Amino acid sequence: MSIFSFFRSTPKASAVQAKERLQIVMAHERVGRTGPDYLPMLQQELLAVIAKYVDIDENKVEVKLDRGGDCSTLEVNIELPGRDAVRKPAASTPSAKPAAGAKPAGAKPAETRTGDSKPSENRNAPSVGSVLTNGGVSKRH
Amino acid sequence: MGKIIVMTSGKGGVGKTTSSAAFATGLALRGFKTVVIDFDVGLRNLDLVMGCERRVVFDFINVINGEAKLHQALIKDKRVDNLFILPTSQTRDKDALTKDGVERILADLEKDFDYIVCDSPAGIERGALMALYFADHAVIVTNPEVSSVRDSDRILGVLNAKSRRAEQGLEPVTQRLLLTRYDPERVERGEMLKVDDVLEILAIPLLGVVPESQAVLRASNIGMPVILDEKSNAGLAYMDAVSRFLGEDVEHRFVKPEKKGLFGRFLRRSA
Repeated sequence: MSIFSFFRSTPKASAVQAKERLQIVMAHERVGRTGPDYLPMLQQELLAVIAKYVDIDENKVEVKLDRGGDCSTLEVNIELPGRDAVRKPAASTPSAKPAAGAKPAGAKPAETRTGDSKPSENRNAPSVGSVLTNGGVSKRH
Repeated sequence: MGKIIVMTSGKGGVGKTTSSAAFATGLALRGFKTVVIDFDVGLRNLDLVMGCERRVVFDFINVINGEAKLHQALIKDKRVDNLFILPTSQTRDKDALTKDGVERILADLEKDFDYIVCDSPAGIERGALMALYFADHAVIVTNPEVSSVRDSDRILGVLNAKSRRAEQGLEPVTQRLLLTRYDPERVERGEMLKVDDVLEILAIPLLGVVPESQAVLRASNIGMPVILDEKSNAGLAYMDAVSRFLGEDVEHRFVKPEKKGLFGRFLRRSA
């Protein structure tokens, strides 16, 4: 292993990416299946609380759910807009999907998500990936 | 009382019919009186894979509708004792599968057979639901590929919620994974999900790993269940899976790339 490999991230084997994508998408899908689950509601309410204080773009919210054998973690990553980002009138935002249905497609918020149509103005907004919350709620089954 | 096994997957084209044919044949070879039923109404194919397409007179739907007797529709396999095929209709649609009708036929078959293998259609609609509803055991046929794994997970959810055993609060349907079209060399190169990856995601026990094999197409070309090709890796893998199903402890083969000597490598290079 050369010293450069510390700096240059080697592309992940596609099988590894397949596994990660499956784990993420299926964790979401299982939530809706295993009967009354409060996680989607919890996600939405958490976002509502944060939105009261900060202007968040629902397209830049990443919700990760990891279901382990006896412990699940809900991880919410919210990219905050930069300081001088102008608060957009609500009407101009294409009705964003509720967070529960948002696709957790990419691994990092900065990645381009195929399939998720992001309004182009968001891409130019000076919103640097400042993470508000990271790893918080765990629940036992 | 016979046991009902459903071969299901959610996704199409992963090898349910190939596996149903192989598995049923394997059970019969082990001495169990076995019938394999095609639940894919309108898209009948089990008869072709089993090589009895020219002997179909009556089918599953005729029996459900009382147009034929069960023994008239059952086709006895010519190669293996104790093996019968119940083909489905080519002309009707899935609505012809009524719950009462399917229950009645399965109840009749249970009296006479040790194992009833239900070859499910793809999807999670009527045909697939009827194939899994009465099952005691489920074999989840999955390819090491994202859409197949996801659909398998979905069908596991359906089994846990909509099977008879789930609805009546009985002991749940046993669920085991049959990973098909596995290519150990691609796994080694990081191009294909590993067995362990799929097991970790689906969290059900492993029944068998069937390697990608040219023998599968060759066998279906001639209407022979691939398990009868004792020289093929796929055939041997199905035999192992049947043994495991019967409770034997058999080590998994064909999950690592075959070791190639210098000569083999040279041949591969030049091929």
